[in-house]
Amino acid sequence: MELLLANHSSYPRIGDDADQQLLRRTITQRDKGEKNDADVRAAEEHLTELALAEQSAAGLQVVTDGLIRWYDPISHLARKLAGVRINGLLRFFDTNCYFRQPVVHAKPQRGGALLVEEFTFAKAKSSRPVKAVMTGPYTLARHTVEEKGGAGGFAKVLEAYTAALAEEVAALAAAGAGLIQVEEPSLLKQPEDFPVGEQHLAALAARKGSAQLALAVYFGDPAPLYDKLQTLPVDLLVLDFTYSPSLVETVATRGTAKTLGLGLLDGRNTRLEDASGVARQLEKIAKARNPGRAYLNPSCGLEYLPRDRAQLKLRHLAAIQRIFLGRAA
Amino acid sequence: MSRAKLQRLGIDLPLFPTTSVGSFPKPDFLMKARGEFAKKLIGRAELEKAERQATEFWIRKQEELGVDVLVDGEMYRGDMVVYFAENLEGFEIGGLVRSYGNRYYHKPIITGEVRWKGPITVDWWKYAQSLTRKPVKGMLTGPYTVMDWSFIESYPDRRSATLALAREIRKEVEALIQAGAKIIQIDEPAVSVRPEELAVAIEAMHVVTDGLPAYFITHICYGAFEHIYPDMLDLPVDNFDLEMSNSGLDMLALFKKQRYTKDISFGVVDVHTHLVETQPVVEQRLRQALETLSKEAIWVDPDCGLKTRTVDEAIAKMQALVRAAQALRTS
Repeated sequence: MELLLANHSSYPRIGDDADQQLLRRTITQRDKGEKNDADVRAAEEHLTELALAEQSAAGLQVVTDGLIRWYDPISHLARKLAGVRINGLLRFFDTNCYFRQPVVHAKPQRGGALLVEEFTFAKAKSSRPVKAVMTGPYTLARHTVEEKGGAGGFAKVLEAYTAALAEEVAALAAAGAGLIQVEEPSLLKQPEDFPVGEQHLAALAARKGSAQLALAVYFGDPAPLYDKLQTLPVDLLVLDFTYSPSLVETVATRGTAKTLGLGLLDGRNTRLEDASGVARQLEKIAKARNPGRAYLNPSCGLEYLPRDRAQLKLRHLAAIQRIFLGRAA
Repeated sequence: MSRAKLQRLGIDLPLFPTTSVGSFPKPDFLMKARGEFAKKLIGRAELEKAERQATEFWIRKQEELGVDVLVDGEMYRGDMVVYFAENLEGFEIGGLVRSYGNRYYHKPIITGEVRWKGPITVDWWKYAQSLTRKPVKGMLTGPYTVMDWSFIESYPDRRSATLALAREIRKEVEALIQAGAKIIQIDEPAVSVRPEELAVAIEAMHVVTDGLPAYFITHICYGAFEHIYPDMLDLPVDNFDLEMSNSGLDMLALFKKQRYTKDISFGVVDVHTHLVETQPVVEQRLRQALETLSKEAIWVDPDCGLKTRTVDEAIAKMQALVRAAQALRTS
């Protein structure tokens, strides 16, 4: 099994030193009228470059822009769509992080690129391949409320989000994204909606061109859905192993038809996993039918960790990769 | 209401007792002092002087407003979990993580065996109680929430970390009771977030409260109540302090389906809006509550801590709820 290292999605946008706090400081100053939007944008770019450099320094083969510009996983995309306004704070799954809830007052529509500029900047600044990341339409719709007469119900909101995000997938692919990750944690919470999710992923996949499409599910146990996940029209499955006592066994037993992103390191806890133990899990998966290439990555975005601990997690990925490759040799 | 229990504890409260959840906004002079302390321009003693002054301000203000069960306002705390992590053994205070948008906090890391070193809140409770004849609540963060809002490195799983915290937090409860506290609130806002772990939170609350002579309240907010009700009633407390107004009182529908069996501190004002509810609005919310709940069971308070409001907004919201409760008593 070829094992590469990848970041999952987000990366801390703050740290303990002054330089790492530039973005927070600049936003605060902008809110007081002391700085402007261009200053915030420059700070975002600086923090993005720091995030890219730290991921590369940790030895990752695939990096992300760290989602440094994202206010949260939901409103960052939704606020750019016509027909949507952004409301109050709600908890994001069982984390202690909050998102602002989109309110649909008319059919959501994409008026322009949502993520392309961010991706293009990161691609230009990175020495490693950059994975583009977007929250999926099903998860966006599940975190949205609709005003009376807004779009005509959940199915219509989902349909409109899917249309907008399919355009974005096409735009990202055209901008040179070789790998586009669609995040759908809500699919694990509403497994009965799996056919709905499948249909909407197919709409995104139809626009991916030559890019590879990854589906990331996390904050839940994907083992009960593993066989169904294997049927989805995506090239990669990025799975959270931290909620599942049986997922390693499931993968080892059933094999995989797709490239896997193995979220074996907990992106939500600072404790470093036993490296030998994770390497053993990798060996088990490597013996599965058709394991091909796999990515070792955290279980979810790293913004739930302090920056110094996020760095340790990424370096730990590299340490585990060395053990695995050493044993394989 | 567990009025008999309160009376056994020597506390006689009117109908619709008024209280607040715990935190009040820090007055400007305290914010200035905290800033200066952070920059090492003043020492701990000067900061504590400002904290005591602010505590007195809020005790006096609550008395002026006619609040029945007072709080110290948590002038000495930054964050409700970090404060306890800083005062228990076994924690490191980690780097910054995002709460939302451009807001960050230092999330604690449990790196060793959790241990109570000695009283944490007792001196503050004693000080606040010395300023008033009305009862002052003892205020603690519960073991499940401290666990959930920390990283766990030194315990094998979430349950063992929670139970270890519960055993130590019980010592703080015992110390508060020994100092004279009769009403103790154990905040567990995280309880509603992972319904599958409610049993752990209940087990831990038993560890904290079983056999102790106090009237216990727990505060829970902003979560999936539909998934934990009515099982949450198994938490061994006398009173649930619940955020009701933010969610349009929709929990009353749950109470209609399955009878609510304990006292309730009924959140009648939203703490996340600058808009100050009027007395008639609060009265209306209470009348809606009375359609489902016994008047003997209802306490009146805000949805959550008021620390995110301005001082003036917090006072105005408290005034509206006190006047509404008083009006209902005589109607």
